[in-house]
Amino acid sequence: MNSRVVKIAIPVVGASVLLVVAFVGWFVISAWWSNPPPVLGFGEGPEQPIAFPHTVHVSDAGLDCQFCHRTVSTDEAATIPAVAQCLFCHGFDKIDGRLSTSETAQEELAKLIADLGEPQQPINWNRVYRLPDHVQFVHAPHIQQGISCSTCHGEIGEMQVVKQVRNLKMRDCVDCHRDNGAPTDCSTCHY
Amino acid sequence: MATKTKSSAQRDTPKWEMVIDLDRCTGCQACVIACQAENNIPINEESAFHEHRAIQWIRIERYWEGEFPDVKARFLPLLCQQCDNAPCEPVCPVYATYHNEEGLNVQVYNRCVGTRYCGNNCPYHARLFNYWEPVWPEDLRNQLNPDVTVRTRGVMEKCTFCIQRIRRATRGGEAVEDGALQPACVQSCPTSALVFGNANDPDAKVTRLKNDERHFRVMEHLGTDPSVTYLKQVDVDG
Ligand code: HEC
Ligand code: HEC
Ligand code: HEC
Ligand code: HEC
Ligand code: HEC
Repeated sequence: MNSRVVKIAIPVVGASVLLVVAFVGWFVISAWWSNPPPVLGFGEGPEQPIAFPHTVHVSDAGLDCQFCHRTVSTDEAATIPAVAQCLFCHGFDKIDGRLSTSETAQEELAKLIADLGEPQQPINWNRVYRLPDHVQFVHAPHIQQGISCSTCHGEIGEMQVVKQVRNLKMRDCVDCHRDNGAPTDCSTCHY
Repeated sequence: MATKTKSSAQRDTPKWEMVIDLDRCTGCQACVIACQAENNIPINEESAFHEHRAIQWIRIERYWEGEFPDVKARFLPLLCQQCDNAPCEPVCPVYATYHNEEGLNVQVYNRCVGTRYCGNNCPYHARLFNYWEPVWPEDLRNQLNPDVTVRTRGVMEKCTFCIQRIRRATRGGEAVEDGALQPACVQSCPTSALVFGNANDPDAKVTRLKNDERHFRVMEHLGTDPSVTYLKQVDVDG
């Protein structure tokens, strides 16, 4: 074989292998310490069956989070609103009335109505935030202590698609608990 | 009261204890079933009992006293005694079991690696190992308690004094009224043989009963200092 080609090929191959390893290493380390970096579709929110924009409802329509996530200040789960609650504003008759103007909006809202069918079916939203099953997270005490939603979820009102902005791994939870005098006993979160 | 919530440091730490009045126990097994449902315990097949691998966080020990026909059946509900000097705790190599400030012997399932040392060191045989992946019939899957972790194969588990109920009741630092907080076994007992409460509260029923003259604790001579007290009239006639 031509020795000059080999001489060039070895450093080139070596460099690209190194680059790939460095990239994978950087990816794994940053995913471990915080969230996966926003490359190759990681760090994006999941696609939802209906493109529900928090921007329109929170920033434009000015709705309070608790209007939809009703039990957030009293219970474990914040809960996702039932379809009936969407229809409060997006009623059958209003679908092409005053609320929805743009074409994409019409399409998405048509899905909302079509999805319902008879008998009424709930929408299968995809989870964005999900702790492992062995962790018992409760919203209520956090909200009652005056921690705002954006501390953990970021500026939802500016998100077209909800995505996870804070990693909320055990270190993250416990660091804040320590700083605020909240319990750090294992059985606070694991039982 | 000026403020309703207190920070965790200001809270008066409770000490959860139980009293079981054996003179009231009829051995009906309601507590066993209630516990099974509350705590996502898989259904034990008959073979599991034969292999001594059945999982029951509370079980009824039955004893026969005397010879037929002068025979008496004695029952003793046995659960994790939440020992203050627990033999299971120091033997765990990964600190998956420890004592918390409320006097509970806590098992952190996700920390457990399944050495089973704790179970071997428990004189009450109150710790149970998941030899199999837990399974439920399809139509029972939706009745699982969302407040309780489903334990996977390979981890140790045991009675928690229904810590999920304790957490729910004490969240936000509210004081719990005596008798308002009940583990599933206590709640289901038809004769109210089981009493649960905060032993740091001098007026609590549990504090009064544990000093009843009939009191004893199981295998107290081992120095385990259990948090469960039993009451039994000593039967002079045998
Ligand atoms: C009009 C009703 C409505 C309002 C108002 C609303 N949301 Fe939502 N929210 C939803 C729906 C529907 C979903 C599920 C679809 C999705 O994930 O985009 C959702 C999803 C979420 C999720 C992701 C849940 C998951 O799957 O993990 C978070 C976090 C959230 N909302 C926070 C907020 C916050 C914070 C506010 C206030 C700034 C707010 N929401 C206001 C309806 C609403
Ligand atoms: C201390 C951090 C924290 C704060 C503050 C917080 N959340 Fe969450 N939220 C979480 C975590 C963690 C989860 C995932 C829970 C799980 O998987 O069990 C979650 C899940 C959710 C979900 C989806 C699942 C569910 O519980 O129904 C919604 C919706 C939500 N949060 C809305 C809100 C809203 C609205 C607020 C403000 C009123 C808020 N959250 C404040 C941490 C927080
Ligand atoms: C308080 C009234 C109200 C409620 C409740 C409400 N919406 Fe809306 N929604 C609006 C308004 C206002 C718009 C803006 C319409 C426009 O863009 O012309 C909108 C727009 C939309 C759009 C089109 C977004 C776009 O691209 O412009 C979708 C999809 C939608 N809503 C879904 C939902 C779903 C799903 C629910 C139930 C979880 C819901 N809405 C509940 C008021 C509401
Ligand atoms: C931004 C700060 C912060 C973060 C992040 C946070 N917490 Fe908390 N948490 C608190 C505060 C403050 C309290 C209230 C303590 C009290 O009531 O005294 C609390 C209370 C709790 C409680 C109730 C404790 C009780 O009294 O029984 C649980 C459970 C809990 N947090 C779990 C979590 C978990 C799990 C996470 C991570 C996903 C988390 N927290 C993240 C600040 C935080
Ligand atoms: C404030 C809440 C909180 C407290 C207190 C807490 N943890 Fe965690 N723990 C978490 C969360 C949240 C996770 C899940 C992290 C993730 O998303 O992977 C976790 C995960 C774990 C895991 C990893 C399990 C796995 O399969 O990867 C172990 C082990 C663990 N915790 C043990 C402990 C022990 C031991 C203690 C007591 C010293 C403790 N935790 C106290 C919130 C907590």
